[in-house]
Amino acid sequence: MLRLFLSLIFAASLFGTVSVKAETELWGDYNGVTLRVKLIGGGQYENLYNEVIPWWEENTGGKIEIVTQKNHFELDKEIKKDIASGNLDFCVASNHTSFAAQYGSIYTDLNGIMPASVLADYTPLILEHSTVDGRLVQMPRHSDVSSLYYQKSLYEDADNKANFKAKYGYDLTPPDTWDQVKDQSIFFSNPPDFYGTQYVGKEEAIAGRFYELVVANGGALFDEDYRPIFNSDAGIESLEWFIDLYNAKAVPEGVLNYLWDDTGLGFASGTIAMNLDWAGWAGFFNDPENSKVAGDIGLIRAPMGSGGLRTGWSGSHTFSMTESCPNKDAAASFMWALTSNKAQMIEARGGLSPTRPAIWDAIIAEKEAEGDEFMLMVFETFKQSLSLDAFTPPLIPEWIEFTNVLYPELQAAILGDKTPEQALETASKKATEIMEDAGYF
Amino acid sequence: MKKFLNGPWVLLLPTVIVLACVVFLPLLISLWTSFTPFKLTRPDTLYKFVGFRNYERLFGNYDFWVAFGRTVLFLTIALNLELVFGLGIALLINKITYAQKTLRTLMMFPMMFSPILVGFQWKYIFNDNIGLLNNFLREFGISPKPWLVDTFLANMSIMAAEIWSSTSVFAILLLAGLMGIPKDPIEAAKVDGCNSWQVFKNITLPFLMPFIFIAMTIRSLDVARAYDIVQMMTGGGPAKRTELLWTLISRTGYVDAKMGLANAMSYISIFLSIAFTFFFFYKLMEARKILSYD
Repeated sequence: MLRLFLSLIFAASLFGTVSVKAETELWGDYNGVTLRVKLIGGGQYENLYNEVIPWWEENTGGKIEIVTQKNHFELDKEIKKDIASGNLDFCVASNHTSFAAQYGSIYTDLNGIMPASVLADYTPLILEHSTVDGRLVQMPRHSDVSSLYYQKSLYEDADNKANFKAKYGYDLTPPDTWDQVKDQSIFFSNPPDFYGTQYVGKEEAIAGRFYELVVANGGALFDEDYRPIFNSDAGIESLEWFIDLYNAKAVPEGVLNYLWDDTGLGFASGTIAMNLDWAGWAGFFNDPENSKVAGDIGLIRAPMGSGGLRTGWSGSHTFSMTESCPNKDAAASFMWALTSNKAQMIEARGGLSPTRPAIWDAIIAEKEAEGDEFMLMVFETFKQSLSLDAFTPPLIPEWIEFTNVLYPELQAAILGDKTPEQALETASKKATEIMEDAGYF
Repeated sequence: MKKFLNGPWVLLLPTVIVLACVVFLPLLISLWTSFTPFKLTRPDTLYKFVGFRNYERLFGNYDFWVAFGRTVLFLTIALNLELVFGLGIALLINKITYAQKTLRTLMMFPMMFSPILVGFQWKYIFNDNIGLLNNFLREFGISPKPWLVDTFLANMSIMAAEIWSSTSVFAILLLAGLMGIPKDPIEAAKVDGCNSWQVFKNITLPFLMPFIFIAMTIRSLDVARAYDIVQMMTGGGPAKRTELLWTLISRTGYVDAKMGLANAMSYISIFLSIAFTFFFFYKLMEARKILSYD
């Protein structure tokens, strides 16, 4: 740990008007050191770099060279190519708990590098999710779990309440189960002008949504040996939920091409009643310049499936350090800065969910002090969702490859090209091949 | 040895070395990987020879052959439509005497957009909920269409984006051809009483045929640039309804990281490119013979 020193700060740091619990800082003198980094890009991610990189450079004398800044899927491809070519000439890279297992041993075990007192500042469960084969290969930046946004006025409308009760026999309130979401979506829909809900319809996105519904319905994707078991009653029940909404035209017809931007922009356009989405969209949805539903948004934890569990597909954006990094102390210091109290407050103000318990308290206190009831609701809801409902996908290298054989079959069933049983049977066979090839059984 | 060092081979050597490094070596390496279970994330698999296993898997892979067939169909329709539209534009611009240079520049605008941007634009235009086209239809009381979902509409939508993006390549090449046609035979034909259609069919078109086949050859090799457009608009979906070889190979190689299998797919699909190129070169030679160029 040359040139690395720790300083325990006992006085509370101040961010704006709200005090944050003390943290262990990880500064050092890195004059003359240049760290090459590969980062996830995009509007909501880049504020952090604009503030933290100059801060770190000023405090350490080191320099940061951003080699790459692109979306996570493109970054994933680039890093795979780097592994193949053996060209790992960077120190720090953005990572994700769902992706990390794919990268083998290119990233360093941080257990020996990050002091225990630094690690103690993060939520232990998130650090556990950042661990691959017993090696802590990621420092968590922010966590994601979905909650259900809805247009409040629809639930306050007296006609809607009366008509819904007459048709379905129970009160119209924000849904507590996915069956209620289905009823209410069909009730609210008036295609092609207005839809009850929507879902991301392709790639890992729909595979993840299917996965969390299978779990909420009491099923699982794999058994203990990683044999696929989603071709089950819970699997079929989950897939039928997607199919029923599609057939009832309660979701837009093009939903199978939608990814996160499409669902986010769709809800902001005011044409969607309910939208299961990430915390990072909250500020955008409530901004009158960008959103027609600003000021009319309610938010609840994700509804429950028939198994009594809420959907809680979760993951964390993280940073990792390469084994080949020539200056690991500097890289550790930079990773600490990127996930420090200061950094997490910057991201939390944009609506992202922190990975440090102290920042949850601080951001909630800050929003209370500002009287920002909307963001207060957002943070309180997502805090509950993360602590009570969140679960990760299987943290295995084959996750992305598995989702690539699953999603076309889900789409085929939703479009009516196959029955749910046929689709899940085919996906199950292909998934079995992947797991066999990977040597699980 | 001395004879060799003084001969023309020495002068050719730099070219041979450069070609070997940038063309043959990568081709040989990718050919080798197609006989291995090479995964990008496990570099050690590059050295494990598995013979024709990847190829055997592909010959029994229904999804691959459907994507192969769809790619042939896509190429055939897109290239022919681009030719027809490009020819029409070139003929019209060739007739214009005022602001022709400005129009030629404007015509090239679509080529200046990156395919990723073209994909984004057209994805937004064809979005079923907030897209321009469906909102336009709603204004006139016409029910919106699932442009990027229905098998026929989705393939046509992708083709529309590709044609918009690349028709100007044909137009530019054919306009160059039109400008190079000698005026004498055309004037002689008109003096002999030929109408415009007869002049076009019997003089202009035969003169243009070499340019048409050169344009076809260039575009058939270059059309894989449409990968970005397809990836942005549908990603080959939904339910593989718009899956082309390029999206399948890219996903297999870079997302699933199975580069050995992806390269086997590429080598099979290379035959498709060779077939198209051979066909167009054959037609080019025939067209030149008719014009007695050779």
